[in-house]
Amino acid sequence: MEQQLKNINTLPALTWNWLDVNCASFLAQRPQQVKPVQMAPEFAEIETGMGAQAADFAAQYCTDCHVVDVPENTEDKEEKTFQYVLSAEKPVVDVNLIHARKGSKVTVLESYTAGDDTPCFHGGLTKILADEGAQVRLVQVQLLSGNSRHFNDVGIKLGDNAHVEVVQAELGAARAFSGCLVLLAGYRSSFNADTVYFGDEKRKLDLNYIARHTGRKTNSEMHAAGALLGQSDKVYRGTIDFIRGAAGSVGHEAEETLLFSPQARNRTVPLILCSEENVDGQHAATIGRINEARLFYLKSRGLTEAQAKQLIIEAQFAPVIGKVSDTALQAAVKDYLGRRMQLD
Amino acid sequence: MSSPVKKEQLQEVDRSLYDFKDAVHPSYETDAGLTPEIVEQISREKGDPAWMRDFRLKSLEIYNKLSVPDWGPPLDGLNMKDIVTYVRPDTPMRGKWSEVPKDIKNTFERLGIPEAERKSLAGVGAQYDSEVVYHNVRKEVAEQGVVYTDMESALKGDYADMVRDRFMKLVPPTDHKFAALHGAVWSGGSFVYVPPKVSVEIPLQSYFRLNAPGAGQFEHTLIIVDKGAYLHFIEGCSAPKYNIANLHAGCVELYVAEGARLRYSTIENWSKNMYNLNTKRALVEKDGIMEWVSGSFGSHTSYLYPMTILKGENSRMEFTGITFAGQGQQLDTGAKVVHAAPHTSSHINTKSISKDGGECTYRSAVTIQKNAVESKSSVSCESLMLDSRSRSDTIPAMDIRNDDSDVGHEAKIGRISDDAVFYLMSRGISEEDARAMIVSGFAEPIAKELPVEYAVEMNNLIKLEMDNKL
Repeated sequence: MEQQLKNINTLPALTWNWLDVNCASFLAQRPQQVKPVQMAPEFAEIETGMGAQAADFAAQYCTDCHVVDVPENTEDKEEKTFQYVLSAEKPVVDVNLIHARKGSKVTVLESYTAGDDTPCFHGGLTKILADEGAQVRLVQVQLLSGNSRHFNDVGIKLGDNAHVEVVQAELGAARAFSGCLVLLAGYRSSFNADTVYFGDEKRKLDLNYIARHTGRKTNSEMHAAGALLGQSDKVYRGTIDFIRGAAGSVGHEAEETLLFSPQARNRTVPLILCSEENVDGQHAATIGRINEARLFYLKSRGLTEAQAKQLIIEAQFAPVIGKVSDTALQAAVKDYLGRRMQLD
Repeated sequence: MSSPVKKEQLQEVDRSLYDFKDAVHPSYETDAGLTPEIVEQISREKGDPAWMRDFRLKSLEIYNKLSVPDWGPPLDGLNMKDIVTYVRPDTPMRGKWSEVPKDIKNTFERLGIPEAERKSLAGVGAQYDSEVVYHNVRKEVAEQGVVYTDMESALKGDYADMVRDRFMKLVPPTDHKFAALHGAVWSGGSFVYVPPKVSVEIPLQSYFRLNAPGAGQFEHTLIIVDKGAYLHFIEGCSAPKYNIANLHAGCVELYVAEGARLRYSTIENWSKNMYNLNTKRALVEKDGIMEWVSGSFGSHTSYLYPMTILKGENSRMEFTGITFAGQGQQLDTGAKVVHAAPHTSSHINTKSISKDGGECTYRSAVTIQKNAVESKSSVSCESLMLDSRSRSDTIPAMDIRNDDSDVGHEAKIGRISDDAVFYLMSRGISEEDARAMIVSGFAEPIAKELPVEYAVEMNNLIKLEMDNKL
């Protein structure tokens, strides 16, 4: 059974409809064996980047639920790892609820790979509640086959002095939709997001990141980088939203997209919404071709154009992939990218 | 520190400059509202050719089918049932100021238009409510073959075919609801044709004054700058403040031919009961250059995004704009550009200031089409917020469809730096003056692009707004 999720990844402030970036729709697959999730109120109230429809779908059709509850002032030295190898027969909808209590520290790794090239479905919902002084690192790697569908919905709420870092590699799936909303509610809370994406063939990527600052002296840094090949089509929405009262807050956002094909399409919509005077918000976007001088240099060293391009893409992704602590997964990412670029 | 007396004088002088109103005694006006009968009345009164009458009625049909935009500032206070779409002043169009009725002439004198014409303009068109009441172009400019006239005359005169070929072709009535409204009830406006290789050394100016309360102004501006020619066109507009909604839904269509250059400068200073839903669009051919300079100060609500279509190879555009929103204002402004040919380039540079609860939105769209290889676009927008009752949003979008172009976008929102204020205060300048200086400095890059009289006007407006804060 399939279900159309409409009005997902909605832009927090709408723009011209003809640009077709205000929201998206996604065809989700309902798994057979489900374990619906009833969330505690403190998790239920956390908004997510893809919006209520995606979050509700994940909660209703959940196949795998994990709760990570880190006690106060505890550091979880071992990474919490949830790795899924998907197949056509077994769609996965996972719900991950992470509560880092006061002063605690934890890293969670979620990875989604496919054993073969059969079409798979994955839907994911991760909610993070970081209490005062807590630190959470969420690493998500998606390497599904090129004919799969995947959505990844994240919601985060930060208490005073809490810090959350999100590292995402959205590299596979024919339809990859991802959203992340972080509520910087606590005084001096901070958020970092590093995302890499890769599009080739006829892939469609749809990304929506929102940093909502309500606490004083909060800080958000969102960086995204990607490469588009073939006839891939990508929409990146990134919003820094300063709510009145978020005095002294800072929000920075940057995106760099490399285009490798005349048929690829890139849409970027970076927003700053501001109802507080005493803030500093900046965004920058660079979209375009590969640096000719770099390409020439690499070719002059004996590399073919394809090898040189591959090297440049790997270099662009390296700072983010380097944050994946699981070395086997890191190698899998490199191998996956290598294969995809050859295919293209 | 500024004395209270000075502040009072500044407020008095500047408000009276725009807010004075004449007694309303039109020779003809339609009923309020929008019906096929009213559209036919306008067409009949203006003696439209048959095609224009049909065009108006078709536009009305489109208007009735289209929805109000769902993405911008609210338009709840605008009710078309209350808007009078056509108000003809009690005078025909004149070619000498001395022949313009005294009260209307006084209006334009207070706005400085006749003086500006004498000093620094090659021609002037002055519209009062729905019709142009004065039009004149310098003899030497006319002798160059430059045609500068009102739209009604152009519609029926030697250039009728040229007008028919281009009228609302760039901005079709299907574009959006208020373009359709314009198509149905337009009146007044200017037509300019600059022949090939003619350079109009001093600017032409059209000034639009809306006096009647509850009325709409729907002037149409059509400018064709032929191959290798140059023109600087200035548009000014204002209206007195009433306690009911007024509407401005003008339409500007600009054609820049091969190797031509057009600079289009505007300071919009509508009163704060005005809904300003204006549409401006330019089509630029090979090697052509389009330059926009735009200052948006007035109106209750604005939707204003001049659009440029870079159709010809190597064509380019520059957009320089500033928006200042004060109490009760929601000014949604920006620019759109479509790169539709190889080697095209665009540069958008905007600034906005919001204070006293005013809301500024910068909205833009840069589209690079598949065939627009080796194109470049850079966008820079900066917003300054002067208090936390105000709001400032930037909503840009980029749609890139080839791998052989470069697009860069930078945006910044912030406040007046405490360090800068402290530095100026340490040099003996009061805090208020320091803040005003910083705001003026912020606006300076835009002001320098304006003709000097308008730069002065803009600085006065900023000063007025800043003084109001005190």
